[in-house]
Amino acid sequence: MVGIGDKLLGYATNPDVRNRGASGGLVTAVLAAALEKGMVEGVVVLKRIDEYEAIPVITDDVQEVLASGGSMHAVPVNLTKHAVGRKIAMPGKPCDVRGVIEQAKRNGVDLENTYIVGLNCGGSMHPVVTREMLIRMYEIDPEDVVGEEIEKGKLIFKTKDGEEKAISIDELEEAGYGRRENCRYCTIKIPTNADLACGNWGVIGELAGSATFCEVMNEKGKRLLDNAIEAGFIEVQPADEKSIAIRNKVNSAMLKLGDEWKGRLLTEIHDQERLTYYIEQFADCIDCGACREVCPVCTCGEDSKCTMFHSLADNYKMSMYHMVRLLHLSDSCIGCGQCSDICPVDIPVTTIFRRFADPAQKKRDYSPGMDLQRPPFLELMLK
Amino acid sequence: MAGTEWEPKIVAFCCNWCSYGGADTAGMGRFQQPSSLRIIRVMCSGRIDPMHVFNAFLEGADAVLVTGCHLGDCHYVNGNYKAQVRYQFLEEMVRELGLEPERLQLNWISASEGEKFANFIRDVTAQIKQLGPSPLKPEGVN
Amino acid sequence: MVKESSVKETEAADTPRIGVFVCECGVNIGGVVNCRAVADYASTLPNVATSVVNKYACSDAGQSEIKQAIKDHDLNRVLVASCTPKTHEPIFRACVEEGGLNPYLFEFVNIREHCSWIHMQDKENATKKASELVRMGVSRAQLLEPLQSTVVPVTNKALVIGAGVAGMQAALDIADMGYKVYLVEKNPSIGGKMAQLDKTFPTNDCSICILGPKMVEVSRNRNIQLMTYSEVEEVEGYVGNFRARVRHKSRFVDVTTCTGCGSCVQKCPIEVPDFEFNEGIGTRKAIYVPFPQAVPLRAVVDRSVCIDCGACIKACQSHSIKMEQEETFSDLEVGVIVVTTGYDIYDPEPANDFGYGIYDNVITGMELERLLNASGPTMGKLVRPSDVKPPKRVGFIQCVGSRDKKRNRYCSGFCCMYALKDAQLIKEKYPDSEVYIMYMDIRAPFRNYEEFYDRARDMGIKFIRGKPGKVSEDRDNSVIVRVEDTLTNNIYNLELDLLVLSVGAVASESSERVRQLLKVSRAADGFMMEAHPKLKPVDTTLDGIFIGGVTQGPKDIPYSVSQGSACAARATRYLAQGKATTEGITVEVDEDICVGCGICVPMCPFQALSLADGKLAIIKALCKGCGTCAVACPTGALQQSHFKNQQLFAQVRSVFTFEGE
Ligand SMILES: Cc1cc2nc3c(=O)[nH]c(=O)nc-3n(C[C@H](O)[C@H](O)[C@H](O)COP(=O)(O)OP(=O)(O)OC[C@H]3O[C@@H](n4cnc5c(N)ncnc54)[C@H](O)[C@@H]3O)c2cc1C
Ligand SMILES: Cc1cc2nc3c(=O)[nH]c(=O)nc-3n(C[C@H](O)[C@H](O)[C@H](O)COP(=O)(O)OP(=O)(O)OC[C@H]3O[C@@H](n4cnc5c(N)ncnc54)[C@H](O)[C@@H]3O)c2cc1C
Ligand code: SF4
Ligand code: SF4
Ligand code: FES
Repeated sequence: MVGIGDKLLGYATNPDVRNRGASGGLVTAVLAAALEKGMVEGVVVLKRIDEYEAIPVITDDVQEVLASGGSMHAVPVNLTKHAVGRKIAMPGKPCDVRGVIEQAKRNGVDLENTYIVGLNCGGSMHPVVTREMLIRMYEIDPEDVVGEEIEKGKLIFKTKDGEEKAISIDELEEAGYGRRENCRYCTIKIPTNADLACGNWGVIGELAGSATFCEVMNEKGKRLLDNAIEAGFIEVQPADEKSIAIRNKVNSAMLKLGDEWKGRLLTEIHDQERLTYYIEQFADCIDCGACREVCPVCTCGEDSKCTMFHSLADNYKMSMYHMVRLLHLSDSCIGCGQCSDICPVDIPVTTIFRRFADPAQKKRDYSPGMDLQRPPFLELMLK
Repeated sequence: MAGTEWEPKIVAFCCNWCSYGGADTAGMGRFQQPSSLRIIRVMCSGRIDPMHVFNAFLEGADAVLVTGCHLGDCHYVNGNYKAQVRYQFLEEMVRELGLEPERLQLNWISASEGEKFANFIRDVTAQIKQLGPSPLKPEGVN
Repeated sequence: MVKESSVKETEAADTPRIGVFVCECGVNIGGVVNCRAVADYASTLPNVATSVVNKYACSDAGQSEIKQAIKDHDLNRVLVASCTPKTHEPIFRACVEEGGLNPYLFEFVNIREHCSWIHMQDKENATKKASELVRMGVSRAQLLEPLQSTVVPVTNKALVIGAGVAGMQAALDIADMGYKVYLVEKNPSIGGKMAQLDKTFPTNDCSICILGPKMVEVSRNRNIQLMTYSEVEEVEGYVGNFRARVRHKSRFVDVTTCTGCGSCVQKCPIEVPDFEFNEGIGTRKAIYVPFPQAVPLRAVVDRSVCIDCGACIKACQSHSIKMEQEETFSDLEVGVIVVTTGYDIYDPEPANDFGYGIYDNVITGMELERLLNASGPTMGKLVRPSDVKPPKRVGFIQCVGSRDKKRNRYCSGFCCMYALKDAQLIKEKYPDSEVYIMYMDIRAPFRNYEEFYDRARDMGIKFIRGKPGKVSEDRDNSVIVRVEDTLTNNIYNLELDLLVLSVGAVASESSERVRQLLKVSRAADGFMMEAHPKLKPVDTTLDGIFIGGVTQGPKDIPYSVSQGSACAARATRYLAQGKATTEGITVEVDEDICVGCGICVPMCPFQALSLADGKLAIIKALCKGCGTCAVACPTGALQQSHFKNQQLFAQVRSVFTFEGE
């Protein structure tokens, strides 16, 4: 029996799953065991199409879960909305988890019935940008890629003819490739808001590459692990001091780096120029509503206050649609980047949202999506 | 600004019980004011939706005023506290947008404070005349 | 423009036909604004069917014109541009209703207070602005929808909380009007603070002598169900339909058999200071009868000090003592609630004001009342606490805890008067004593109060205008007060045997509990807040809940009694009608749009909102129509009627025009 707060190293007992897994296949095995033993009715898995595309689906087939291991760094899709209204278990990057918790605050998700296995995340990449990067920086045909890995700060691609090419992430990002901008300054790398927090940081020595570091965050996490152990799907052992220390160290280093990126990406715009900047950015908006559609925090249906202004777009100097979205969401924005990714006219929606959200959230010492205690809307912070 | 005096358009959201009454009392006391003000009456400052404030700017308001009862005096227990929280958020947004902060102001005015109401309107109008028309005002609108 | 709401099959569905009536209000508006021009401009606006100028729109003639125009022009919206809705909206709403329209299809534009009176020197701009204000009103009027206020039945019973003199009066009046009253009092006896007083100003009649019969009357009245030693724990519901849960604390005495004879009290070996009635000066037993005139005259056991010796049980001939008695609960259904939970006396001890709590011979006014009272701990013999000797020199310090920015800013109103009273009583009992009153101002309004003050001066009581600085103690426990008379600039070092602090009223904790339970507003001074300081002094913003006596703010007995009666009258209106009409302006939810996120629910200060089956449910009778929740709703599903988003957008949009428009 594991305890809440335990920090463990573990892996899938099935060698295939362990091999296919990004680390030790533990995440896959835990999800599969939860389904197998009836803790949940379904599991969210990423159905791989190619290296750059995968579709999240909910399956009730244990075999399909077992086959779903591995991390897809170029699939930045957010899984939040798949948790809505169902009794499922899911893997989740910190932003997936934050989305689920924000949904729970708005009665969209019942957290009691949702199990989340969190994945550490240093960031993900946009598929289109990744293809371009492969051609420009790696000089590899994107279609030839069969695998990808991050090691010692380098992004490694393997091709079908067994070759490997590694370039440092710093170099890639200086050149405008690498992780999505919002990931670079994201402040949650270890999903302490999930039921389990899993990753490869801290997996060292002979286990490196074949075990998963896993922290038990709460009662539900304990249930998940106990269940998988009992079902014989995984084996775990306590992580030693050194592993724990390394995990913490890498995390702090990443967070520090994140702060630097924030300074670089959210550069200050002069008082006199800001208004023009925003007016110009939003001027391209075609009111398609895609950004609101993908937002993992928003629970609105088809009609909402922001959509009332779609038809008025032409009369105003500034997009009222975006103003209303900012009013409603910038207190709860988790910076997941979905809106920027989807925007057909390339408005940096996420960056703009962060410019408003960052100071507002900091001022109120409020980090959305981290726990159920704090209410979603600023107005509720009345005491 | 030289030549003809430009008169700004200022939209004030007033709660029925206090600040609207303050405007009435200003009238009863014949406290003369510039003709810049347009009052939108709502029942409580808690009904003042930041969305409507932005909308007023985008329609052409040179300034928007959020007003209500003094804290503790709201006729619906604590609507003005809610208004205050929303206002603070709105204020931060207006600052980040780069709109001059003078264009958005909050004031708690009781139904008896006619002179305060009139002074407030005079002050804001003077400030806005200094600033000139709002950069969010659509072309050709007044 | 903005998405049309699903307009119901009502008169609103018709194309608007707006009648505009521009009032000259004699010269009040007409002297500044060119009303003819305004009306002409209005007639050019969309959907305006007629636009005319009235001399006085609110006069009988004016109103008839409006009603006639509704018929003649088949109007379905009426706009009056005149004075303020705060006074005239009800008049015009009634007028259009008589004219056959729903009263909410009326739009008011204020061109007097907000225009002619504030632009008196600038007729041109005033006229221009008036036209624009009318334009804004016309845009809004297009979108007005008819509203219905809801009528709810009223349970014909009342709950009165707190049985001080105010609560007793309210209960008696309601009962005498023929309605059932539950009177809940937290203490073992009714009577409140007045029962503790010795005499009452300005007539100096014995307090309990006038209160006692009233207390008995309360207990005898068949329509009053007295619940002493009880507290209201939960309240839910709304006007006409409140449900309250009352906790009856256990007395450990069977009130149906106890006769209040006191045999048990004599036998009880445990004696503790009597804080409940004698301000800690005298003592009482572990089993006690609160005071000789208590109603109900029944014993009560203080289990926190009882040692379970059983002496009382043996002594009681009626076998009334029941140590195993448990607390019980009653669930009441009432139509109206009157709150008369009174006040606490300002406690000078924590800050040791003027040495109180340090020097034995510094006491409060209420302690003095008990020392002067014939049935008090000293049988009415005035003594000083340190050596139980009669004081020769007595001083009063006024405004202790009141009119003091660091403590309470307000004036407690009755302390000047009770100091004058007690000073007189001392002078009467001990003519050779010296009595000083140190004051900032003496406040003595109302009948015979100023005369009462004169009488005190005539009796030789010395008045020193000034607030003392330092208070110290002498070797023989006398109190030395250093005070400057600001009228003469003399500095005195008064050596007093007894120093009385005229402490004022503060909002009590037990009142605060009730206030929070009922969600009554709290004024800045901590007392409960009335709906309007002048016109609705005993109403609250909550329909069916009334406040009276000191719970609403410091006041003396006559004023408290008047408020008790006022509460009864206001409350009985509902009971007599058997129905209550609730606000027509409420919120409405569009179920197709609502996603059940619940963000709006905690916004409502009146608990009108809840989630049921993933959608919002509204209790219309609880909604006061403030609209706060509608702002919080991100989907726009929740809208405040009469102040819908579209209505406000239209109004704001028409503030502005395109050049040349
Ligand atoms: C984009 C990304 C970046 C990461 N960065 C780090 C890091 O910097 N440091 C670190 O310690 N660990 C990081 N991880 C986690 C790590 O790669 C492993 O997922 C983790 O160690 C668990 O290993 P496992 O073998 O037990 O998981 P597996 O058994 O391989 O299971 C992986 C699970 O993750 C899901 N998944 C795969 N791709 C995604 C995706 N794009 N979004 C959401 N879910 C996905 C799969 O569906 C599967 O359920 C990252 C993971 C991702 C997806
Ligand atoms: C020293 C002193 C001398 C005074 N002398 C005079 C005078 O001579 N003449 C004069 O006119 N005025 C005098 N006053 C003022 C007088 O005391 C008040 O005006 C009067 O008592 C107010 O009555 P009330 O019913 O409002 O409040 P209270 O007398 O305070 O009665 C309130 C009642 O409500 C009960 N209660 C409180 N909370 C609850 C609860 N949660 N549930 C149930 N019951 C509750 C209390 O137990 C109490 O019985 C004097 C005041 C003081 C302090
Ligand atoms: S309008 Fe006000 S009173 Fe009515 S439900 Fe909403 S918050 Fe409550
Ligand atoms: S806030 Fe709006 S959408 Fe959410 S529950 Fe309330 S009415 Fe429905
Ligand atoms: S009623 Fe004026 S602020 Fe609420």
